Amino acid sequence: MKLRVLLVFVVMATAVAQVGAQATLEGRVTLPKATTAPVVNQRYEIVSKGGVIATNPPLAVVFLVGDFPPPATPPVAQVVQKGLAFIPALLPVQRGTKVEFPNLDDQFHNIFSYSPAKRFDLGRYRPEERPIPSQIFDVAGLVTLRCDIHEHMRSVILVLDTPHFVMTDVAGNFRLTGLPPGRYTLKAWIDSKTTREHAVELKDGATVRVDFP
Amino acid sequence: MTVPHVTAVAISEPPRARAGGFRTKLLVTMTLVVVGVTAAGLVLSERNLTAAVERGLQREFQAELAALNQAQAIRHATLTERCRALVRKARIQSALEDNALDLLYPSAKDELRDIVARPGEAVAAPALRALFYRFLDRKGALVAPPKSAADVGVLSAAEEAGLALPRAPDQPQLGYLRRAGEDAPIEVITTPIASTETGEVIAALVLGFRPLVAVPAAPAAAGMKRALWLAGWERSTPLSTSPAAVSAADVQRAVSAPVRVVIDGAAHLVLSKRLNADSLYPAAYEVCAYPLADLFARQRALRWQVLGAGALVLLAGLTASHFASARLSAPVEKLAVDSEENRAQRVRAEAALEQTAEELQRSARFSADASHQLKTPVTVLRAGLEELLAKENLTAEECQQLSALVHQTYRLSSIIEDLLLLSRMDAGRLKLNLAPVDLGQLIEASLDDLGAVPDALDLRIENDFPAALVIAGEKRFTSLILQNLLENARKYNVAGGRVRVAAQVTGERVVLTVGNTGRGIPAAAQAHIFERFHRGGMGENVPGYGLGLNLARELAQLHGGDLRLARSDETWTEFEAHFRLAPA
Repeated sequence: MKLRVLLVFVVMATAVAQVGAQATLEGRVTLPKATTAPVVNQRYEIVSKGGVIATNPPLAVVFLVGDFPPPATPPVAQVVQKGLAFIPALLPVQRGTKVEFPNLDDQFHNIFSYSPAKRFDLGRYRPEERPIPSQIFDVAGLVTLRCDIHEHMRSVILVLDTPHFVMTDVAGNFRLTGLPPGRYTLKAWIDSKTTREHAVELKDGATVRVDFP
Repeated sequence: MTVPHVTAVAISEPPRARAGGFRTKLLVTMTLVVVGVTAAGLVLSERNLTAAVERGLQREFQAELAALNQAQAIRHATLTERCRALVRKARIQSALEDNALDLLYPSAKDELRDIVARPGEAVAAPALRALFYRFLDRKGALVAPPKSAADVGVLSAAEEAGLALPRAPDQPQLGYLRRAGEDAPIEVITTPIASTETGEVIAALVLGFRPLVAVPAAPAAAGMKRALWLAGWERSTPLSTSPAAVSAADVQRAVSAPVRVVIDGAAHLVLSKRLNADSLYPAAYEVCAYPLADLFARQRALRWQVLGAGALVLLAGLTASHFASARLSAPVEKLAVDSEENRAQRVRAEAALEQTAEELQRSARFSADASHQLKTPVTVLRAGLEELLAKENLTAEECQQLSALVHQTYRLSSIIEDLLLLSRMDAGRLKLNLAPVDLGQLIEASLDDLGAVPDALDLRIENDFPAALVIAGEKRFTSLILQNLLENARKYNVAGGRVRVAAQVTGERVVLTVGNTGRGIPAAAQAHIFERFHRGGMGENVPGYGLGLNLARELAQLHGGDLRLARSDETWTEFEAHFRLAPA
């Protein structure tokens, strides 16, 4: 949890640093009903049904699409392997982000992806492996992570072409701050087959509310 | 009397003829029964044999296929388990789920290494080593293997096209693939691959095997042909030199019941069973054709046996029936003859009776006519004689002679009168009007008359009867009975003899007895005294003409009573007349 908060903070800080003017977007995404009972410990997982990948309980990633310059230095994010699971299960990143995959379990993992956006195979490694195995995700799209040894492990990295993105809470609420004024399209990724969008005009210092039905 | 005789001769033959007819009928019936039983036996035994042979073949065929099915089921189970294991492999799962089908074959290469036979490899159990493998995606379409992949097994484009299915299957599917230039088709087993997460079928593994062949331990019949029938394509021993010999319709009909089909000019019994029931692949049938020549030979042998047995039974039956019918028909014949004779006798008796009746009728009519014809001239004669007698110039002698003649005319009239009465009775024309008649009064009057007759015999007359004696009768005729009896008692008496008249009531009847002294009636004549014109050997000196007793008896019977001779010996003769008491 700490890591995730830290990560979001880093991303936000980067965005704020790049753009001087400030605008805020907030709103709510209507999420599909959970396919299974809500997970008590607030953890969510990746499920694939009928070829559609989503989180359970359902969460959305809200991001602003515009003509943003690539990051000067590649942002760094982490997906750790702990307790035979990927944490987080869904990681949105800006294109060009370097994602590290530290192994916190006391055994081998073998992370690989056959996804068109990024095919890679890190091979088997233990927690002591240094440098921490990592990949730079430079093509926008959905990347499914698996472990060749533990076939139940699953994680999704959503590579986005924007620095402005945020994950909703389980109720679908989101808030994006430090946005540059201008005309944009606000998108909400709900699952691998469902992305909703909404045109927005941001003004300096203003807060715009957008609700995705 | 010739007619009954002729009849007897004429009917003496038919009974034998009829008995002979009975015997013929018996023989014909026995023959028909034996022939019928033989025919039924023939039909039943042939049907039984055919059914037994068909059942035997069917059972054998099904047993072989059951063994085949079992082997297939085991293989299906093995492959299903293998696919379950496959999909658990993260790389295969990833390739299937993450839209990386191009990586499917490389990923599966290691996993399927042991299941696919390498080219040129000698394998212990070829039926469990696949010739090739392919994957179908979640829509049932073929996932094309990469060009570089050599170990997936070589298939032509057309062959690969035959592997695709309209949808990903839920259950293992069995199909058959024709390969150009090969006799045997390849058995294709397509096993569903289900997601470990959601259970939905996301792909299918297609494996091609050399077919499992059900090898019969011992062929059911020589010349038996088996083939796998796949849309007109046959393998193994070809069913026929002409591929069209067994039509698709025949194959499908043969699934439920054996079908007779002519193959190469010889009748065959065709059995079939669908090998891949419920499969999404085209239907394939195991078809078996048994030549029926052997069955026909057995049927022929059986037919001769049954016919022979039938003939023997018939022969034995005929022999037995000959004796049996002889024994049976003898009493029947006798019965027939007897009954014919009885009938003949009856006919004869009836004819005689009729003749007698006719003669009686004729004689009765004659008597009646004669009596009428006689009465008139006698009356004329008597009138003439009495006229002569009335003449004055007659001598005493002439007068006496004329008186005697007149007397004779009275006698003649009396006879005629009696004959007339008798003839009326004979003709059944005399009916008495029965009324109460005082018998006592009648007796007294008759005795008075008797006493009044001048008589030389000097008879003593006794009587003994109760005062009131009323009977049922007609006075005229009751009186005639009484007069006849008294007349006889007087006529056949002796000088100084006596006559006794008595009457008494006995129950419902009145018995009148008239007795007289006299010589009595000879024993030999007693039986005939009531016959007409019989005079019991009486001398000619006793007047009478033999009609009286006959008339009296017949009249008594008309009264509902009778007349009989009660006693006749040397000294006493007594007649007994019965009458009925008049109803009160």
